[in-house]
Amino acid sequence: MGAPATADYVLIERMARGDERALGELYDRHGGLVYSLALAIVGERADADEVVADALAQAWRTAQDFDPGRGSVGAWLTTITRTRALDLLRARGRRARALTRAALEDGEGLAAPIAAAGDAPDREVERQDTRRLVARSLAELSEPQRRIIELAYFGGLTQTEIAAELQEPLGTVKTRMRAGLEKLRSSLLPRLSRGES
Amino acid sequence: MTDHQWLELAAPYALGALDHEERIRFEAHLADCATCRAEVQACREVGGLLAYAAPAATPPGALRERVLRAARQVRPIGARRGPVLPWLAAAASIVLALLAGNAYRQERAAREQASRARAAVQDSLGERDSLIATLLSPDATTAALAATGQAPSARLFWSPTRHRVVMAVYRLPPAPAGRTYQLWAIAKGKPVSLGIFNTQPDGRLTAVMDVPPDLAFQVTAVTEEPAGGSPQPTQQPFLIGKVVGD
Repeated sequence: MGAPATADYVLIERMARGDERALGELYDRHGGLVYSLALAIVGERADADEVVADALAQAWRTAQDFDPGRGSVGAWLTTITRTRALDLLRARGRRARALTRAALEDGEGLAAPIAAAGDAPDREVERQDTRRLVARSLAELSEPQRRIIELAYFGGLTQTEIAAELQEPLGTVKTRMRAGLEKLRSSLLPRLSRGES
Repeated sequence: MTDHQWLELAAPYALGALDHEERIRFEAHLADCATCRAEVQACREVGGLLAYAAPAATPPGALRERVLRAARQVRPIGARRGPVLPWLAAAASIVLALLAGNAYRQERAAREQASRARAAVQDSLGERDSLIATLLSPDATTAALAATGQAPSARLFWSPTRHRVVMAVYRLPPAPAGRTYQLWAIAKGKPVSLGIFNTQPDGRLTAVMDVPPDLAFQVTAVTEEPAGGSPQPTQQPFLIGKVVGD
């Protein structure tokens, strides 16, 4: 809540009326977040550029569809961005970065580098709290729980695909995903109840 | 499936991790189950925060201009060419994919479907001149209420000067025996009943309802209620939409 978040919604309203400057402002505010997300999924900067440009063009086109009652502007943008990024990977027949990492690494999830990320782009002072909280919450999960959730979110995999990827029984994957999200939910509750827009 | 088993699908659904068939079945269930819808919504909010787990990266400086350039090539949907019916030109419209929940990867499909539905409704309205003639007012505003997939959708046309709304509903099975649907206007956060309705066996309905004079509302919603309707909603709405008028 608070003034900046209210203004987020106003930006979308202005975009819906064709105000290009509002789009620029939206980019200035959320560009860092959506770019980071896109890059985490596609793994290559040129592709991340494309995803972000596409995602914001979609936001521009469909600004009228945005409903503040449904969630924050940030959540809306990240949903669009994630979908675009996964689409791009599928279109190119490539694997998500999260998958490659999962195959290569033990223990270190995507969350690991976050705590060290200091060079924040825009509005990061405000975002850092959320980043830290999310990173901490993910770190509290068991390693398999975290990996499964990351494969679903950043890899775009279904439970069945995750089970195949990790060579675990499907039932185990299901249980861990549910338990992991439940745990995240309770640790992120302060952030959730505060809302963002 | 037991209620408990359904509820367990909310988390994977919100993460977009259900297999195709499971997802279809769960979405059908969502249409009937407010508990699961609420659970999906909660899980989606958790899922949404996962974007913050992406390692922080700084976008290249040129990306901003690229974004703006891309936008210049398309106009926002609301600002596009003249609509089918002239009076709709004065009425910005909005389509929402809402409480029935929706996997992330379906987001775009849902929007496209909503656009098609919007065009279809405009076409079919052209054939219903007699019904909507009373509403051909310059001040008419409109709201579209939609869910995804084969879920029901509705479109609302509101003329504040004539104190009336016309509601067009699609793909909504008739309410079970002893139950009815009820349309609400949410004014200053308080639901005000605009009336009860039921659909035809084909899932459609076009109805005219009176709006109390001076009632200003931004949001409309549909719930299922006991026959005769309720003074206040007894359930979470399964359709919800925002009124936009310019």
